[in-house]
Amino acid sequence: MSDLHTAAKRLIEAETTRTSCAPVRDLIGDTDQDLAYQVQTLVTSARVENGARVVGRKIGLTSRAVQTQLGVPSPDFGTLFDDMAYTDREPIPLGRFLQPRVEAEVAVVLDRDLDSETANVADVVRATDFVLPAIEVVDSRIAGWDIRITDTIADNASSGAFVLGTNPKRLTDVDLPATGMAMEARGAVVSTGAGVACLGSPVAAVAWLARVSARQGTSLRAGDVILSGALGPVAPVTSAGSFRARLSGLGEVTAIFTEGEPA
Amino acid sequence: MTADVTALAARLDEAARTATAIPQLSDEQPLTLDEAYEVQHTGIALRAGRGDTVVGVKLGFTSKAKAAQMGVSDVIVGQLTASMRAEDGGTVDVGTMVHPRIEPEVAFRLGADIDPQDPVVDPLAAVTDVAPALEIIDSRYRDFRFSLHDVVADDTSAAGFVIGPWRRLGDVRSEIDLANAAVVLEVDGEVAGTGSTAAILGDPLRAIEAVARMARQHSLGVPAGSIILAGAATAAVPLTAGSVVEASVAGLGRVVVTAGKAGHDG
Repeated sequence: MSDLHTAAKRLIEAETTRTSCAPVRDLIGDTDQDLAYQVQTLVTSARVENGARVVGRKIGLTSRAVQTQLGVPSPDFGTLFDDMAYTDREPIPLGRFLQPRVEAEVAVVLDRDLDSETANVADVVRATDFVLPAIEVVDSRIAGWDIRITDTIADNASSGAFVLGTNPKRLTDVDLPATGMAMEARGAVVSTGAGVACLGSPVAAVAWLARVSARQGTSLRAGDVILSGALGPVAPVTSAGSFRARLSGLGEVTAIFTEGEPA
Repeated sequence: MTADVTALAARLDEAARTATAIPQLSDEQPLTLDEAYEVQHTGIALRAGRGDTVVGVKLGFTSKAKAAQMGVSDVIVGQLTASMRAEDGGTVDVGTMVHPRIEPEVAFRLGADIDPQDPVVDPLAAVTDVAPALEIIDSRYRDFRFSLHDVVADDTSAAGFVIGPWRRLGDVRSEIDLANAAVVLEVDGEVAGTGSTAAILGDPLRAIEAVARMARQHSLGVPAGSIILAGAATAAVPLTAGSVVEASVAGLGRVVVTAGKAGHDG
């Protein structure tokens, strides 16, 4: 078995046995992002073979602070599946995660394909059907979140689940860079931020994703849900309870975590 | 042992006037919180003796992160004087500071007195105007390190402030959610910090109630016309001579200042 397959197997086993694993950088190094994306493809392909359906993408590492922390100059991305999607206030069983954290984002939903390797902001604006407030639940299969860039990319960009608000807005009705974000848990503010923190604008992040995806031959498709990147710092989920994110101009969305295992 | 309030205030005043960092007061001798506020008030009196006037108050530790970092659960209050103010679009002299930092804030202006002795009056009703603001903080202590009581004695690191265009609070609240407006701090055109006004006590308007409470506890007057700096919306960044700093609060406005270095007079 190649190192790539061994790395993928380690991550898949961690997911299926719900037991965190060692980083995979011992197998694929800690700098080669192409190798890491090849492992990610093995991991996501296994999910598809098990019946999961691709519903979109997530963009990670969109803030300069997080990029600096991981020593990379650009974002990364992962694949979203149908079994990760939750509706506003729908209970989410904590048992499906290993070490969940939440971050508030703008979800961009496309109504046409974006298959140009040179897609820019104008292409994204034209292809956007509507935007929704969202909470992304990130999770790492790697013990203690001991990740470097290749570990998180291989691990499907540390994706876990996502919660979408239900009130869509058109891009023409919102000012995404000027969107304020406040996330609260138990009445206390746990994260604050702004749309501009996401590569200047969530739309710019989606343009980046469109270009990279087109080059990799996995272009964004009409109907895709794109989680465009965190607007503020991530907050840990340590017990059952709820997180409510307010995005000015977009509305609010609540993630409710419950004890127990997924059905 | 009771602290020598006058001597401690003089030490901090000297540090501020000569832009020379000093060791923390508490290294030598513990201060109570009340003594720390006494040192602050005595220091302000020294400034007043040189012709400076108090024009408002500022809150510190209004963000959850900062409060947790300091291990405190309540806000602290400091006083703003006329000499600390720089004009919007103007220059602030960092040559007179030890190690200044700058942060984006929301400022309020009172149209009526907040009377700490009158608990019936809603202090919020006294607020008439709101503006984007920049605050320059400059600890007089070495390495910007201090205990809670040290920083209270040091006028909560107050060193400078800039107020953007005032707008009527009622108008602003009818247009935007002041409790969650995006805030951007730019230094020389580069984004240096992003956040939301929600970082200020969950809602900057909560600062007014907090000021009223602090005024009651620590014998502060907050008369009509006073400026209230509600707290920072992002982490503070170092302020160096030559840089141009701008804060914008979405739906409220922007404020800009240039850091100059005239150095000390005399």
